[in-house]
Amino acid sequence: MNTDVMIEADGVSKTFGSVVALDEVSVSVPRGSVLALLGHNGAGKTTLVNVLTTMLTPDGGSARVAGFDVVRQSRQVRARIGLTGQFASVDEQISGLDNLVLIAELLGASRREARLRADELLHTFGLTAAAKRSARTYSGGMRRRLDLAASLVGRPRVIFLDEPTTGLDPASRRGMWDIVSRLVDDGTTVLLTTQYLDEADHLADSITVLSAGKVVAAGTAAELKAQVGQRTVVTTLASPSDAEPVVAALKRAGMQPTWDPGRGVVITPVTRSTELAVVVRALDEVSVEPAELALTEPTLDDVYLALAQPAVA
Amino acid sequence: MTAAVAVAGAIPESQPTWLGTNVFTQIRVLTLRALKTVVRDPRIIVFSVIQPLVMLALFSQIFSSIAQTPGFPAGVSYIAYLMPAILVNTAMGSAMQSGVGLVNDMRNGVLARFRSLPIAHGSVLAARSLSDLVRTAFQLLITLVFGILVFGFWPAGGIVGLLGALLLGLLLSWALGWVFLAAGAWLRNAEVMQMVGFLLMFPLMFASSSYVPVANLPAWLQAVAQVNPITHAVNAARALTLATPVGNGVIATLAISAVLAVVGSVLAVRGFRRPL
Repeated sequence: MNTDVMIEADGVSKTFGSVVALDEVSVSVPRGSVLALLGHNGAGKTTLVNVLTTMLTPDGGSARVAGFDVVRQSRQVRARIGLTGQFASVDEQISGLDNLVLIAELLGASRREARLRADELLHTFGLTAAAKRSARTYSGGMRRRLDLAASLVGRPRVIFLDEPTTGLDPASRRGMWDIVSRLVDDGTTVLLTTQYLDEADHLADSITVLSAGKVVAAGTAAELKAQVGQRTVVTTLASPSDAEPVVAALKRAGMQPTWDPGRGVVITPVTRSTELAVVVRALDEVSVEPAELALTEPTLDDVYLALAQPAVA
Repeated sequence: MTAAVAVAGAIPESQPTWLGTNVFTQIRVLTLRALKTVVRDPRIIVFSVIQPLVMLALFSQIFSSIAQTPGFPAGVSYIAYLMPAILVNTAMGSAMQSGVGLVNDMRNGVLARFRSLPIAHGSVLAARSLSDLVRTAFQLLITLVFGILVFGFWPAGGIVGLLGALLLGLLLSWALGWVFLAAGAWLRNAEVMQMVGFLLMFPLMFASSSYVPVANLPAWLQAVAQVNPITHAVNAARALTLATPVGNGVIATLAISAVLAVVGSVLAVRGFRRPL
C-alpha cells in the first residue's frame, strides 16, 4: 500500500439493525491533507469517523489509518490518532490542566513531560488563565478547545474532527479553522466532518459528500462545483409582469431560463461568462430594464442540494 | 496564540511523541484520577460515611429488643451483633456506588476520551474497582471507629477479629463491585442502575442474618436467608469479631466472592466494550 496515504477506507459498510449507516464507502486521504466529509444529519459521517477511529467495527470492507488496520491493529491506530467528537470528551470534575496531564500520562509520558506538554497546549489554546479551574466552569468554546487540546497531547499524525465547529460562535469558529490550518502546515493529516459548506470549502483539499450512507460525490471543491454545473445569471425584475416577455426572449436566444416568482428573479444557467451578453441582448430586445443583473458562481450549497438530497429532482 | 510550532512540534515527525503505556501504568494513573475526584468533592465520602452511622444509630435502638429473644446468642450485646452486619451491608452499598460511578463517567464524556486512547478497556474498569476499594476501606474504617467510640462497640475478637471482618467486608465489596460494574456497563443509566441496585439490596440485606437471627424468621424467609450470600458473609464477620467458631463461613464468603468477581468482571468488560 501507499505509505503516503494516511487514511484509507475501502468499501466500508456498517448496518445498525435495518438501517444502513454506511454502504461501501471508500475514502483516501494523502499525508498532510484535509478531507472534509460533507453531509446532513444521519448521512453516515460520524459512523465513518467511528469506524476509522476503531470505536466501531465495520460489517464489511476494510480501513487503514497511519498504515494500521483499524480492526486488527486498533491499539496501534489509537496510539497515532487524535479524535475530537461532537461532544466534548473532557473530565468535567477535574481542571483543564489535570485533564491534559492525565492523557499525557496515559500515553506514556512521565509526570514532568506531561506537565510540560499540558502547559504548552494550554498556552496554544488560550486556556492558561483557566488551567487550574474545574472544566465544569468552562464555556462551550473553552470546552471545545480543551477537547481539541486533549486530542493533540500525543502529537498525533492523523486527526479526526467530528463537526468541530458545531455550536461555536463565529469568532471561535475562525479560531478553530486557524488551528486546523496550522496543524496541516505541520504535516498532520486531517479528516473532518461538517454540515457547513463554507467550512469544507475553506479548509479541505478534497471533499467527500455522503448521503444516506453512500458517497454521492468526491473531489476538490472546484471539481464539485464544476460537476454541479454551471454558473447562472440572476436577473432581478422591477415588475413581475416583465417575467413573461423576458423568459420568452431568453428562450428564443437558446437559453433555458426559469422564473422564480418568490424572489422575483429569472435564473438563466450559462456555460461561459460571455453568455451574459446574450442575456443582456434578450432584455434589450423586449425593452426591459432589470432592477439587478448578476452572474453567480455555483456554491457548495448547490452541490449539497443537487447531490446529497436525492429527493430533490 | 503563537506560531504553528506550539501545536504539533517544530519538526514534522512521522511518529507521535508517545505510543502508549503498559496496563499497570494505565491502572495506576486512572486510579489516582478517580481518587482525586473523591478528594475534590468530599461530599460523596462524607455522605457515604454518614449513611452507615445513621443505620447503626437507628437499628441499634429499633432492634435492640431482639437481644432478649430466644434465638439470640447468649451474652452478646445487640451492638456487637449488629456491627459486623453494618460493615457487610455498607460494603454492599458501596459496591453499588461503583456501578453508579461508572455510569456517571460515561455521561461525563471522559470515557469517550479514554476509548480513543491506546489503553485497555479492562484498565478503566480495574481502576474504578481499585479506587472504590480504597474509598470503601476508608468508609468502613470510619464506621468502625465511630462504633467503638460512640456506641461502645468492643468485641471479644479484638483487633484481629475486627481486621478479619473488615477484610471480609472489603473482599465482598470488591467482588460485588464487579457485578455492579457489569450492570452499569450494560444498563448505562444511573437511575435504572440505582433502582435495580435497591431492588437487589433490600432483600439481600433483610432476608439474611444481618439484623435478626435466621431462626427467628418465618420458614420461607429462612430458606431465602440460608442461600443469601450476605448471610454467609455476615455470619463469618460476626464469628470473627465475637471470637466464636467460624465454621465454613469464611471459606463460603471467599468462594462466593471469587464467583461474583469472575462472572462480574467478564460481563463488565463485555458490556463496556460495546460502543458508547
